[in-house]
Order: sequence, then C-alpha cells, then structure tokens
Amino acid sequence: MTQTRAIALNALSLYALALLLAAAFAAQLLLGELPCPLCLLQRIMFATLAIGPILNIRFGPRPSHYAMSLLAAVAGAVVSTRQVLLHIMPGDAGYGSALLGYHYYTWALIGFIAAIVLLAAILLFDRQFEDDAAASPLAGNLFGYAAVCLVIGLTAMNVVSAFLECGPRACADNPVVYELLKR
Amino acid sequence: MEFTLLFLAIFIVMLVAWRGPRPLAMGLFAAVLIACVATYLHHATDVLKLSF
Repeated sequence: MTQTRAIALNALSLYALALLLAAAFAAQLLLGELPCPLCLLQRIMFATLAIGPILNIRFGPRPSHYAMSLLAAVAGAVVSTRQVLLHIMPGDAGYGSALLGYHYYTWALIGFIAAIVLLAAILLFDRQFEDDAAASPLAGNLFGYAAVCLVIGLTAMNVVSAFLECGPRACADNPVVYELLKR
Repeated sequence: MEFTLLFLAIFIVMLVAWRGPRPLAMGLFAAVLIACVATYLHHATDVLKLSF
C-alpha cells in the first residue's frame, strides 16, 4: 500500500468516526435519549481514536500514530465492555433504546474491536512508511481536509452538548434533562 | 463537568494535531488518555453482578 492510499484510508476512517458521532447525536436529539456517563466516555474514546488519523493525514503515516489509535480503541473497548456487563443479567432491559437489536454500548464495543482489527491489519503494510516524495500528505488533499474539519466540528458540538447536559457539576447516572436548560 | 473538560481537551489536541507541532500533540494525547482512564476508574465503582 502506497503512502497516498494509506492517507486516503485514514481520511475514510475519520468519515466513519464522524458518522458514528453523528449517529450518537441523532439518537440524543431525535429520540431525546441523553447519554449516561459511560456513554459519554465511549463517545470521548471514539473522538480520541480520531487523533491518530489526523496526524497520519498531516504528517504522513507512522507506526506511532497507529499505536495511539490502538491505545484509544483498547480503552474504548474496556469502557463499553463494562457497560455491556452492567446490563448482561437476564431481564435487564439495558440503557436506552436498541438499534437493530443492539444497544449503543454494544455497537460501540463492536466498533472498538473492529477498529483494533483494522488498525492491526493496516500496520501490516510496510510500504506506507517509506518516504514517498510524490505523496505530500497535506497538499491538495481536500478529501482529508474535509474529514478532519468534520470530526473536529462534531467534537466541538459534543463539548457544548456535554456542558448543557451536565452543567458545572458531575453528570447524573441516568440523565433525563439538560441541567442547564432546566426551568 | 469532567466529560465537558475531556471533550474540550480532545478538541484542543485535535487542533494541535492538525496545526501544531507533532511532539506536543503526542504529549497532549498521552495526558488526555490518562485522564480518560482516571475518569473511567472513578465511574466504574459499581459491583458487577455477573453470577446467573
């Protein structure tokens, strides 16, 4: 895999992460389901996962950037596994509504495990780490630029959303109203 | 509040990764990851009832 292709794949992964963060927002805004503390932490880990690809798009692919994403994915998998285990007992309805039979945290666990597998797979391609004079990571890369802007914008929206939901105090375990919009 | 701060910290790390020096972005990433793990440990205190 050439450096140019690896950068395109990294941009694609940012679009996937943006789609995931947007889907979580859609559930929050359209269904009125406020994220719990562990749900927020999973969103945070998805956003953290995006930092490696941003560095890859800007500086070119490096193993250290993939390692950063791997660490974030493992941490995210631990958080979502805990939430799955919290609701694993028979008769437990789970937290929030299900999408295609699975709750958001179960989809998150699947997403983090898929990220770990994909990151390990892309690390198999050594040619992307060779200096490629023809491939300039930033020049003319509108596809990558738009992906970075999208994911940074969604993270900024999450800053506002989390502040509206929790306010200046600790977040409620089962939030039902935005603390700062309460009358 | 801690989640707002974590999102804000990640937003800043993303901006540094996109516009700033690479070593600073990597250092800030490490700090944010440690903060995330600490937040998780703070919130993961309920006993898991897994025998069924």
